[in-house]
Amino acid sequence: MSKFFTVRKVLTLFLVLSVIFAAFSAYYKIKYWGFDFRPNRTTKVWNIDANITFEPTGEPIRVSLGVPSSGDEFKILNEDIQARGYKVTKNTQENRVEFSSSAKEKSQNLYYRLTIYDNEDGNGKVREAKVATPRKPLYDEQQRQMAEEILTEAGKLQGSWPQKIIQIFNQEPMNPTLNAFLPVKMNQKQRADKIIELLAVKSIPARLARGVRLEEGKQAAEADLMMEAYDGNKWMLYDLNTGKEGLPKNFIIFQRGGTSLLDVSGGEDSKVRFSVLRSVVSSFKMAAHRSELNNYKIMFDYSIYNLPLLEQNTLKWLMVFPLGILIVVLMRNIVGIKTMGTFTPMLIAMSLVKTGFWAGLVSFSVIIAIGLLLRAVLSKLNLLLVPRISAVVIFVILIMQFMTIIGYRMNWSIASSAVFFPIIITAWIIERASITWEEEGAGNAVSEIFYSMVTAVVTYLVISNEYIRHITFAFDEINLVILFTVMLLGTYTGYRLTELKRFTPLAKGE
Amino acid sequence: MFAWLKKFSRPSALKANGVLGMNARNYKIIARCNNRRLYPLVDDKVQTKRLADKAGINTPHLIGVIEYQHQVKDFLELVKNHPQFVIKPAHGSGGKGVLVIKHWDDDCFVTASERVLTFKDVYQHISNTLSGLFSLGGQYDVALIEEMVNFSDIFKDFSYQGVPDVRIIVYKGYPAMAMMRLATAESGGRANLHQGAVGVGLDIKSGKTLNAVMHNLPISVHPDTKADLKSLVVPFWREHLIIGAKAYEMTGLGYLGADIVLDKNRGPMMLELNARPGLAIQIANGKGLVEVIKKIDKTYPQNLTAEERVDFILNMKK
Repeated sequence: MSKFFTVRKVLTLFLVLSVIFAAFSAYYKIKYWGFDFRPNRTTKVWNIDANITFEPTGEPIRVSLGVPSSGDEFKILNEDIQARGYKVTKNTQENRVEFSSSAKEKSQNLYYRLTIYDNEDGNGKVREAKVATPRKPLYDEQQRQMAEEILTEAGKLQGSWPQKIIQIFNQEPMNPTLNAFLPVKMNQKQRADKIIELLAVKSIPARLARGVRLEEGKQAAEADLMMEAYDGNKWMLYDLNTGKEGLPKNFIIFQRGGTSLLDVSGGEDSKVRFSVLRSVVSSFKMAAHRSELNNYKIMFDYSIYNLPLLEQNTLKWLMVFPLGILIVVLMRNIVGIKTMGTFTPMLIAMSLVKTGFWAGLVSFSVIIAIGLLLRAVLSKLNLLLVPRISAVVIFVILIMQFMTIIGYRMNWSIASSAVFFPIIITAWIIERASITWEEEGAGNAVSEIFYSMVTAVVTYLVISNEYIRHITFAFDEINLVILFTVMLLGTYTGYRLTELKRFTPLAKGE
Repeated sequence: MFAWLKKFSRPSALKANGVLGMNARNYKIIARCNNRRLYPLVDDKVQTKRLADKAGINTPHLIGVIEYQHQVKDFLELVKNHPQFVIKPAHGSGGKGVLVIKHWDDDCFVTASERVLTFKDVYQHISNTLSGLFSLGGQYDVALIEEMVNFSDIFKDFSYQGVPDVRIIVYKGYPAMAMMRLATAESGGRANLHQGAVGVGLDIKSGKTLNAVMHNLPISVHPDTKADLKSLVVPFWREHLIIGAKAYEMTGLGYLGADIVLDKNRGPMMLELNARPGLAIQIANGKGLVEVIKKIDKTYPQNLTAEERVDFILNMKK
């Protein structure tokens, strides 16, 4: 007995130490780095990471990236370029950053990092005194007639000319003339080029704009495409899918006009990927400044807040898991709920965060229900175990595919969220539920799924909470406290909550 | 409004009766008494049987073991001289995957619950067993074919279909608590308490009924056969206890559950052992395990043989 008492004592000591450490560290971060317990509400600050990757071909390298101009409708707080071994020049005339270096061997990774204020005030109006009338496109007779016809057709639609043309491009089903006019296969850019071409017929100057839609947690996304058209005294932005006029909220333009967003010579397979992080990191950006001012820079350099945003976003996501694990431990060892698989509820909760609560819950239930039906058919065939569970995995994949397509066609985002659930886990839930069903009745199977879902929902409510996610990220020492709490719970020998009910016939003196 | 709260007891009330909870069982007892290295001895029924033979414990005779899929088609060769037999997964638990054939000829196999199966069905069952359908964690398994137990008629009125068995909890070699599990119509002929079987707590000194429960509630007659559960007495009680006590030396497990059935001709036989026996036995007995465990730890003599330990319990003053 005394031996085990010691384990508990040691763990308690570690728990106390970790609490003291976390408290001290929180104090330090608040005082010297300016961290806050609340998630930062000044959502007007964004961090954008443009990550350029390419494979060198062995020739001298020149990379040119279009960047937002400082004269635009937002304020650049900070600009940071990470490109070791490159000579970096900024071409303010054309708003491009240029990297040059001698030939390199390994695949290259360049970062351009930008911190900006919100862009709401500008509203997308870019003044530019004189714009040359675009040259009319060179069409043969047939193309010219088709263009005329499309423009007449578009003329019946509402809005300004750019809007009319965008609308006709987005009609379902597509106007037959337009269909014939356009090439069979087009990517977003070619499509936008066609719209610009038709505007040129109307003598309206237009150009492409590439930028980034500022969305929290965006990771390694491609640049978004928009179009600008000149309305006589200013450039107006248009959404290529809706025809909506004006700069959308939270959109920052990296490059306009005919030049490309990224030019790489001396490299191939080049890509630029954008990551966006809101608010939390903004306070961390300030933190860097503050830490510098206070001469506490070294500590900051070795914290997670100084990593590239892609890694930070991943870590922010990871940092909340220990809390989810703690909840699973509590539900199983203190409450006494039986779940299918130890961490299955947590994996479901993670998926719910991605899909949204109700959409995820509904689509997950549908997957399980259809899966159980198919599995019931399967059980008649008496297959061996591994082929059978494999068949269930494939069922799940097909159900997800089916739901995603239906969801997209019918515009039910609920159904298309199906694709976010972990396939293998889902298949095992179906397999186990179906075995429980056969052996112990439907009631037992449903209650097992139900209790797993209850645990998943509780976990979801915790890990999806913005405050909690902020605190586990900004004050990540709390995970040490959670670690020792979980270990200490491993020595808990009291009754589980469900046992208080189960053993009621044995209660004395009631 | 708070009526549902009444279904819960205060922890202190459970403690007063020495109820052992799951966490305490795992942490204080299993982790301390049962070396993980020893688990395979009881998780694998082939090993258990081999050990039992060595220790002189009665078990159903082994007809054969089927290890590989290609052997499955020849299982008739094994059973051709056995009008009755039982197929079991070596790593099964809770009676999962146990197929009892009480009569067969040619392509017609009749199970204990009167289901009629074909050769193909039985073949499939063995094949599923080998691929791990019934084993813990779904690992590959082997199938045992044993002789069927000729169940004593003594308990005929106490069980609906199925096989009544005695479960004895053995702590440090001393039988600590015992119960009999009786199948009901609701439990589908199985002896699992959580599926609705009746649990009858047995007095450890006499093998007589103390208390009987179904779904955690006290009952006095069997729901299907209407037999008076109070009149239940397990014969050869000392032999039952000796099997349990010997299982301690045989496996080295300080805390185990022994499942024992009564054969018409051969007497009590050990069916299987469990290194993590459940806690429902406390409800069947109407008292917790903590008290007797503490007593065994503190006052029971050590270094006795299995027989001496059983006699120590049988001769103990109340």
